[in-house]
Amino acid sequence: MAGILDVPKPRINCSMLSQFINRAVCFVGRVEKVHPTGKMFTVMDGEGNAATVELNEPLEEELSGIVEVIGMVSNKGEIMASTYNMLREDKGVPFDLELYNEALKVIHDFPQHYPFQVAASR
Amino acid sequence: MANLSAGAIEALANGSGWNEAVLQLVNIRKIDGGSGPSRFRVMMSDGQHTLSSFMLSTQLNYMAEKNILVPNCVCVLKRQVTNMLKDGRRVVIILEIEVIKPAEEVAGKIGDPTPYSDGQSKGQQPAPVPESRPPLQQQNRNEVTRNVKRDFLKKAPSALPDTPGGSSKVVPIASLNPYQSKWTIRARVTNKSSIRTWSNSRGDGKLFSMEIVDESGEIRVTGFNQEVDKFFSLIEVGKVYYISKGSLKIANKQYTSVKNDYEMTLNGESTIIPCEDNCDVPMVQCDFVSIGDLENRDKDAIVDVIGVCKSVDEVTRLTTKSNREVSKRTLSLMDMSGKLVTVTLWGEEAEKFEGSGQPIVAIKGAKLSDFGGRSLSASFNSTMMINPDIPEAYKLRGWFDKEGHAMEGQSLTEVRGGSGRLMENWKTLADVKSEHLGHGDKADYYSCIATIVFLRKENCLYQACPSQDCNKKVVDQQNGMFRCEKCDKEFPNFKYRLILSANIADYADNQWVTCFQESAEAILGQNAAYLGQLKDSNESAFDEIFQQANFNTFIFRNRVKLETYNDESRIKATVMDVKPVDHREYSKRLIVNIRKMGAK
Repeated sequence: MAGILDVPKPRINCSMLSQFINRAVCFVGRVEKVHPTGKMFTVMDGEGNAATVELNEPLEEELSGIVEVIGMVSNKGEIMASTYNMLREDKGVPFDLELYNEALKVIHDFPQHYPFQVAASR
Repeated sequence: MANLSAGAIEALANGSGWNEAVLQLVNIRKIDGGSGPSRFRVMMSDGQHTLSSFMLSTQLNYMAEKNILVPNCVCVLKRQVTNMLKDGRRVVIILEIEVIKPAEEVAGKIGDPTPYSDGQSKGQQPAPVPESRPPLQQQNRNEVTRNVKRDFLKKAPSALPDTPGGSSKVVPIASLNPYQSKWTIRARVTNKSSIRTWSNSRGDGKLFSMEIVDESGEIRVTGFNQEVDKFFSLIEVGKVYYISKGSLKIANKQYTSVKNDYEMTLNGESTIIPCEDNCDVPMVQCDFVSIGDLENRDKDAIVDVIGVCKSVDEVTRLTTKSNREVSKRTLSLMDMSGKLVTVTLWGEEAEKFEGSGQPIVAIKGAKLSDFGGRSLSASFNSTMMINPDIPEAYKLRGWFDKEGHAMEGQSLTEVRGGSGRLMENWKTLADVKSEHLGHGDKADYYSCIATIVFLRKENCLYQACPSQDCNKKVVDQQNGMFRCEKCDKEFPNFKYRLILSANIADYADNQWVTCFQESAEAILGQNAAYLGQLKDSNESAFDEIFQQANFNTFIFRNRVKLETYNDESRIKATVMDVKPVDHREYSKRLIVNIRKMGAK
């Protein structure tokens, strides 16, 4: 877990998962379904596509709304989560997932303007 | 092999008419219209006879110019009107024609047609004409062509009776042209403007305008001065009238979306008579533009739109620059493209608009603006129809009830709201300087997102006159009384008011601004009275307020103006309004700007 915190974690959506296999990423999406075991759940990104998130330990709380997951992308395109962060829905301005997706596209379309120092390899 | 309609030429020439005549084009000649569009004179043959008194209506000029209509091609005459000249000769105006066999596939002239002579008296025209040969010759000689043109221009009493009634011959609007003055049309009024007056150095006047439509097309009609008195109250929108003897001239397309090369002016000889039998005159002619397509149109274009009124706002009143009060209402229109656009209504139309129940709204002649991206405005020239009885309306209703109502829709008008603020004009603080805003004779207004980097807490408060509407600084008489020069009164008290000098900055530059009461209170988060009290009683608490207020980011609406004090000119910036940053709106704007820059 400590290792992942030191490394830049590009923000991605479902369409970019395949390009970040075995890399650390940050994925923001809306919680869809939580597996009964609590060790897995699906999230939907701003484009309407879903990704699967796997956890090391089962969830200890109700997961709903928008969540930010940090983890590694597996060979199968699933996110092995190191940590997650639920965005509060009761406070502040509601999170606009579609707008976030638009921003994501901009960041990836113009990498020269958004040099987040992605490590060359793991 | 195309068979020509034998006998059609004779029928067309003598007025019996012929539907869908298959004719061969023998010759086509351009007649220069002088100040108007060119006309094309055509000679057609049905294999038996030729007739050269065919004229192409101007809307079909492109067919001649693009060489679609060339000698020897075989065509079907789909729509035409036959006009009679004073001397009894007929001219056939071609309104719609289709080439069914191009010239290359036709081996020359079909048959051996002879020029049709209709046996009418080919009387000499009063005008001195050297060779007044009947224009029904195979070869179109120049002089003959000129003859015919002169006939068209002549203002002679025509075969059409003056008083339209059952016996009058009605021509289609599409056939109207400046070369014939004796005509009667039967059309429905789709739009009537109010009377507008003007007063300039040449005198005063008044005018009204209207748009009329019939099966063949539409045209704009204007009446001035006396014609306003004669006709304005007679005309009702939606009713059908016989109109005759208006003058035709080239249309000024800037003010109208009406599709016609010409427009009509009523004059002393014009007549307008109500028509009772009007069921076959169409209600309205609209060329609707899909809302999604509006992005591709130029700003200031005049368009027709139709859509579902998805939402409507309350009527607001605002004061224009000329100090007139006007009502305004915005509504949101959506169509099957899934796109939404904001439409602004003004005046009485805004007040009377009933938008409940998400009606279908059609607007003819709306003005497209680039405010907020794309938005529409109903001008005095526009006609708005609610739930009109036209097929497009039913299609929209069906679509909306099935799927449209659930769609969010994507709005072409980004910046919504901003009570009364018409233009936001986003600038960086560097733009303000580089564009020399405020240097003109009027003040400039702009909006920016900036962070407060310095607040001057010294002399931010002053003692003001306690009277309700007076904010003038009072003079401390040192005897417990305070004098206001403006009210010319003395008071035992005063009210504290703020004038806050601040420096705001964004990534590009910084700017000194002055904030008055409301904006200062918003920035400091305290009211002036409390601040005044704190300043006298608890200085550290007072300082703390300024510390807290520093480095906050807001949306500023500023006014800049060059002001001169004693030979020195300085740009003065005043904060008109301060608002918390709306991050969603800001993000959207940034993304749009990034994409625009990326596209270049």
